[in-house]
Amino acid sequence: MRRYIAGRLATAVLVILGVSVVSFFLTFLTGDPAEIMLPPGATAAQIGKFRAEWGFDDPVIVQYWRFLKRAVYGDFGISLRHGQQSLPLIAARLPATLQLTVTAMLLAIALAVPLGVLAATHRGGPIDLLAMGVALVGQSVPNFWLAIMMILLFAVSWGLLPTSGRGGVAHVVMPAAAIAINLMALLTRLVRSTMIEMLSEDYVRTARAKGLRELFVTSRHALPNALIPLVTVVGLQFGYILGGAVVIETIFTWPGVGLFTIQAILNRDYPVVQASVFILATAVVLINLTVDLLYVWLDPRIRVT
Amino acid sequence: MNQRAMTRRTALRILGLTAAAAGLRTGAPAAAAPTGEVKIGLAAEPNTFDPHLTVGRNTQIFIANVYDGLTARDVQGNLVPALAESWKRLNATTWQFALRKGVKFHNGDDFNAECVKFTLDRATNPETKATISSEVSTIGGAEIVDPFTVNVITRTPDFLLPVRLGELFGLMLSPKHTNATGKEAIAVKPNGTGPFKLVTWAKNERLVLEANENYWRGSPKVKTIVVRPILEDAARVAALQAGEVDLIAPIPHVRIAELQKNDKLVIKTIAAPRIFHVTIDVRKPPFDNVKVRQALNYAVDVNAILKTLYFGHGTRLATVVDKGALGYDPSVAPYPYDPSKAKALLAEAGYPNGFEVEFDSFTGSIADHSKPAEAIVGYLQKVGIRAKANVFEFSALGPRRVQNKTAPLFIYSIGNAYLEPSWVIRWMTQGGLGMHYKNARLDELLTRIEATDDPKKRAPQYSDVQKLIKDEAPFIFLYQADAAFGMSARVDYTPRPDETQWLYPLALKG
Repeated sequence: MRRYIAGRLATAVLVILGVSVVSFFLTFLTGDPAEIMLPPGATAAQIGKFRAEWGFDDPVIVQYWRFLKRAVYGDFGISLRHGQQSLPLIAARLPATLQLTVTAMLLAIALAVPLGVLAATHRGGPIDLLAMGVALVGQSVPNFWLAIMMILLFAVSWGLLPTSGRGGVAHVVMPAAAIAINLMALLTRLVRSTMIEMLSEDYVRTARAKGLRELFVTSRHALPNALIPLVTVVGLQFGYILGGAVVIETIFTWPGVGLFTIQAILNRDYPVVQASVFILATAVVLINLTVDLLYVWLDPRIRVT
Repeated sequence: MNQRAMTRRTALRILGLTAAAAGLRTGAPAAAAPTGEVKIGLAAEPNTFDPHLTVGRNTQIFIANVYDGLTARDVQGNLVPALAESWKRLNATTWQFALRKGVKFHNGDDFNAECVKFTLDRATNPETKATISSEVSTIGGAEIVDPFTVNVITRTPDFLLPVRLGELFGLMLSPKHTNATGKEAIAVKPNGTGPFKLVTWAKNERLVLEANENYWRGSPKVKTIVVRPILEDAARVAALQAGEVDLIAPIPHVRIAELQKNDKLVIKTIAAPRIFHVTIDVRKPPFDNVKVRQALNYAVDVNAILKTLYFGHGTRLATVVDKGALGYDPSVAPYPYDPSKAKALLAEAGYPNGFEVEFDSFTGSIADHSKPAEAIVGYLQKVGIRAKANVFEFSALGPRRVQNKTAPLFIYSIGNAYLEPSWVIRWMTQGGLGMHYKNARLDELLTRIEATDDPKKRAPQYSDVQKLIKDEAPFIFLYQADAAFGMSARVDYTPRPDETQWLYPLALKG
């Protein structure tokens, strides 16, 4: 087990390094920050001088090496835009992003599980049809559109929720719902299909034959087993949720990592982009690892060798 | 009920008027302590409060609320005294500033000549790695004459120095505070002499300003200002509609008409000093022929672009001098839209069947350039110029411009923050960044203007400049777009023509 975890962590380092290389070169392919950072009246000579001073005229590979040498000590450099160390800047925004994504995930699960179970137990009936309809709409609706529609309805027309920003519980409702909807749809379908599968298993038939009540059979025998694949999917989806959070955080000006990263990318603020990629990649890798370990614990049939 | 409320309000109004009249009669000053809170939603927040490391116009137009420059602008855009009470040019390269006495920084430090020297030394010191270095590059040094008189020596004659050392690039720092705080922390712990103090700043979340009651102009009227960055246009407008904020900027042009109909809101627009234009590479045929360049100007229906893309919220410009700039001459009429004239000129120049040309545009900058570019390309094709559009990401176009590798035609815009035509035109004729137009006569006119320190005497001289540029047509002259501000009926605010988000005069009504 310990060897397994060590191996996974070693792979994680490679993954994070790979992500960092790709993102570094991608941001460079689309230009450098000299012109964004200087006032509009700067002449060609002044732009040239600035690029030389900051080392932007060195080959990309040289710049990456310079970055990597410091990054291994946790020093991602000073943000070009904010004039402060970039890693603490990003780290300070992590709680906001976690609050949003975890709420979204819990919301999605809380809605998807009952909906999926009901659909499975009433297979082919109107409830099933309704649940699948919700899932279809949920999967196909673009979340940025939904976000703006929600702002118009719940905040502007009805004045129930704040339009944007972070504050109390009310602030998290719309952004979390906008992120949750796609995952909720996906999970509803998943729970439904695994439940249908479980309900036709031998042990369920045995349970029914023992004369147990249907509710008990569904909730105690079938459901726990049907939820195992859910763990994997939720874990895998976390990366997508973080990706979705980038868009949603921007719409709601939610002060999290996603919003900060988008601004850093647009401003070619490399130190911040790199720090953010590092933090997000680490988060995704760690969560996937946790999910895999959890899986072993939940399903004794799976053994780590 | 309604009736009673009306009478109560009327009664209050009468009471108020009486009180005001009483005040007038006794000659008592209306110096009230600042009160209330105003919430503002802006598309962007400053990147720093370190005036030498500012990035982008959004920072420069905001941090002046915390600092003062030696000069400032009034609501019409005229240059007025601020920390300097007066200034004069002693000789070609020496400007003398007489400083205001008795001004204190927020922490109580005194403002004096030493602060000016310290600030300018810091701005021009290569170790500061100042992002604004290009705008203070003419400054050679500062000499303290006495505690309230400073001479600023420029490397070359610089008639714009009083403007530079205003709110743009001359915000004054306290030496003691700056040295004690350190370079990283000064970004979030500013100490200026300005009308507001920065209380808290959670990036991407909120920034809280509090009135500096000892401000030398007199205390601001509003006690607390909460600035929320709301990046998404729709969310920003929604925040105003929902009453969460009292003032927002900017409003997308497409939403202006709809919001103007809302009687709970007041929409005010200014002609933002951003000058849109298409640069023509005059070195290369066919553009070395002035007839071809004029043909391009006749070919594009700029008014139609303003109407469709900006919903009429913009100003057609005859040249590259914007409406708010010193010496703007409305008698220089823009090229009319006349495609048959364009075709005739092309034929006269020897291109009856047009020609092929590439056209660069870009996305991802502060303003939209790609949509107007698409429209312009369409108009050029109508007169037989087979323009091919390339669209770049803004930061990718930059290196192309630096290396002079832009297409013979490219769209761009420049914000005339100085409100001075010469500053724009010198930049546009620098012989770099893809701009290659040179003209000895123009140079002579500008040199004469730049030797005139009095703006009132400079202004009329710009008429000849505008006529010459229009005839020479080294650019396709386009427009400046309006910037729209939205506010609730409870606040009173007049946006300034240079775009500075100057919150000092902001007031609550009633």
